[in-house]
Amino acid sequence: MNSIVDKLYVLSRSQKFRNLIIQFIFLIFVGLFVYYLISKALQLDITLGHFVSRAGFGISHTFIVDYTSNDSRWFAYFTGVVNTIRMCIVGIILATILGTIMGVARLSKNILFSTISYLYVEILRNTPLLIQIIFWQIVFLQLPRISEAITFKDTVVISNRGILLPYASSTENGYGNLWIGIILIAIIASLFLSFYINKREDIHGKVIKLYNFKLSGNIIGLIIFFTIASISFFILQKPYDIDLPSLYQNDKGTYLQSGGFEFTPEFGAILFALVMYTGTFITEIVRGSIQSLPKGQTEAALAIGLSNYQTMTLIILPQALRSIIPPLTNQYLNLTKNSSLSVVIAYPELFMVSRTIMNNSGHALPVFFLILVTYLSLSLVISIVMNILNRRVTRIGA
Amino acid sequence: MQNFYKWGFETFFGSVFNTIITLLSLIILFFFINSILGFISTSEWKVVEVNRRLLLIGRMPPEHEYRVWPILWVASYLIMASIKTWGSPSYKDLLFIALGITIVCVIFTTSSTYLWVLTSLLICIFSYVITSFIGKSTTANNKNKKILILLWILLLPIIFTILLIGDGPKPTLWGGFLLNIILACIAIGFGFPLGILFAIGRASTLPAIKIVCTIYIETIRGAPLVAWLLLAWFVLPKFLPQFWGINEVSVVVRAMIILSAFTSAYTAEVIRGGLQSIPKGQIEAADSLNLGYANKMILIVLPQAIRVVIPALISTFIGVFKDTSLVFILALTDLLQVGRIIPEQDPEFFGRQLEALCVVAFLFWIISISLSNLSKKVEKSLGIGIR
Repeated sequence: MNSIVDKLYVLSRSQKFRNLIIQFIFLIFVGLFVYYLISKALQLDITLGHFVSRAGFGISHTFIVDYTSNDSRWFAYFTGVVNTIRMCIVGIILATILGTIMGVARLSKNILFSTISYLYVEILRNTPLLIQIIFWQIVFLQLPRISEAITFKDTVVISNRGILLPYASSTENGYGNLWIGIILIAIIASLFLSFYINKREDIHGKVIKLYNFKLSGNIIGLIIFFTIASISFFILQKPYDIDLPSLYQNDKGTYLQSGGFEFTPEFGAILFALVMYTGTFITEIVRGSIQSLPKGQTEAALAIGLSNYQTMTLIILPQALRSIIPPLTNQYLNLTKNSSLSVVIAYPELFMVSRTIMNNSGHALPVFFLILVTYLSLSLVISIVMNILNRRVTRIGA
Repeated sequence: MQNFYKWGFETFFGSVFNTIITLLSLIILFFFINSILGFISTSEWKVVEVNRRLLLIGRMPPEHEYRVWPILWVASYLIMASIKTWGSPSYKDLLFIALGITIVCVIFTTSSTYLWVLTSLLICIFSYVITSFIGKSTTANNKNKKILILLWILLLPIIFTILLIGDGPKPTLWGGFLLNIILACIAIGFGFPLGILFAIGRASTLPAIKIVCTIYIETIRGAPLVAWLLLAWFVLPKFLPQFWGINEVSVVVRAMIILSAFTSAYTAEVIRGGLQSIPKGQIEAADSLNLGYANKMILIVLPQAIRVVIPALISTFIGVFKDTSLVFILALTDLLQVGRIIPEQDPEFFGRQLEALCVVAFLFWIISISLSNLSKKVEKSLGIGIR
């Protein structure tokens, strides 16, 4: 009898047993909480069944997809997702470029250049993104009215309804999609080819030569891509044509615009604000990474006679890239999530569309989970891409 | 003088590339200054002048405006005393602080309230002077520090008491700059301790606790804040328990809950970074001293971990303060919304949105830049990065 008590005592003193008990109690509490949440949630409608019904609202900005208000809510949501992805891709590219330039500028010996970078960071980083979005919208709306639009010989039309730029549009012969497909295949094929040739050069040291002129993988890839693209372009009898914007008056005297790529004030405002805002954070990241490099690197580069520009692009930035990428990924994720703020100026991206759906249907919870899943998968895609990049960058010479 | 010319030539026109950059910078700076001057010369600030009360307290009834001033007094005493006690401000810092406070006061003061504001300015000076007297003796200084910490902890209850005592206005009526400050204080006040707990949970060796904390943090961080606020707008009241049959949760309370949860997740990630930076020897040493888990965390791990991440924490808090402007989703009139609404109220102010927006942006900017300067100072005094 006594031995059981003893054993129990020993058991209660063992760390493993204690850990198990603690976790068990913790899980019971969490379980009760989750049970409570689920029981409350079950009183609401948590299915997405209503998504197949007619959406019934228009979306002002559509890209690639042709959405009308008669389509289903799924399609409306999809249109929003496409808008978000488009904004994120453009925003990420531009913000990276801006941030890198400003980050280098911040450390430049040229006082004017570093002052600009300093002002840019200190002003824009410390004001809310929302204010910046509204600011850019006001700025864009102060462009001249459409009756007094600025035009450059029918190539660019600038008015407060947006900026129209020349754009490619598919011609009537119907080969447009086929050509895009061929281009995509050509891109993938040339990427693979150049990757293979570069690797062959790295590992085996074999080089393709043409009359003493070394052909690196990048050049071969580019040549192949352009050859395929231009040959298929002429074989398919010009599937794409340049679409010039035009401004005209109809018989009632109203000004109308047509054609071209429309850069609307809403898209411009949200894009400008996102790029400028995220750019400040990227600037700080780039500056921090460059400063964390040993000073000897710069001095050594200058000592072997490289110019300032060459030192930056060949020595400093490639090394800084290693410590830049992880925090940069974070900023990309922030940019993706911040794009939801465009709801304030009614740019119809994912969040705006789902808010409309929530209001129309009255079932908020399932739509919210849809938003959550969409943003999580977008984040996941960005993280995976950046992780692959990170692995490639850190591998070189490491 | 010769050297100066040489230096100037080298920095601005040293090479072709450098010359191009200089010219480009000049063009950008010219454009920037030109547009600012153009804006200033055409701007009319009357839209701000007549709406000062709205910017400060939003839709709160004017007869309750007097409740703001005691809060301001307490806050100004606390801030100045803390600056003197913990930071050793140089004259440059003091000039910056004085300038910032003066401009903010100029924005909010009307002819009927200038006496209240002047009192708070006097309190600022008074508290600074008295703290510097106390600082001369070490024992009194230590006592003073304890009192100040206690007051900081009590600040939120004091604010709520002042705002709600008697028949104070309903929280839904709070607005303007006051609402932003209150929301930020609540979010940080509740989010920071919660964040520490979640960070410890995520760094725990017990798999169940670790997984639950990770799921919480990643879920909150997964969706943007506006989405969470929208969820609070639609369904949060259905999830809260009914007290005495009342299930009328004020919109402000919903915003507070969501902002605190959001802050806790982001703070937890920052603190986790600090926890990971602690050498393993510290934990082993604590174990070998036979400290319990709580003691080990509170006495050994957390002080070191938080110390390392103070700059990152402050920038998270700046982000939270900026994010309080997102409560427009809940139809609350915070500072930014007031700034958007006031030009539309009167046809006289038509087309004066930029002026109102500039004032709003400036108010956000001055708070954020003060905090970020604070973080730089803390970073320097802690010697992070130099170690």
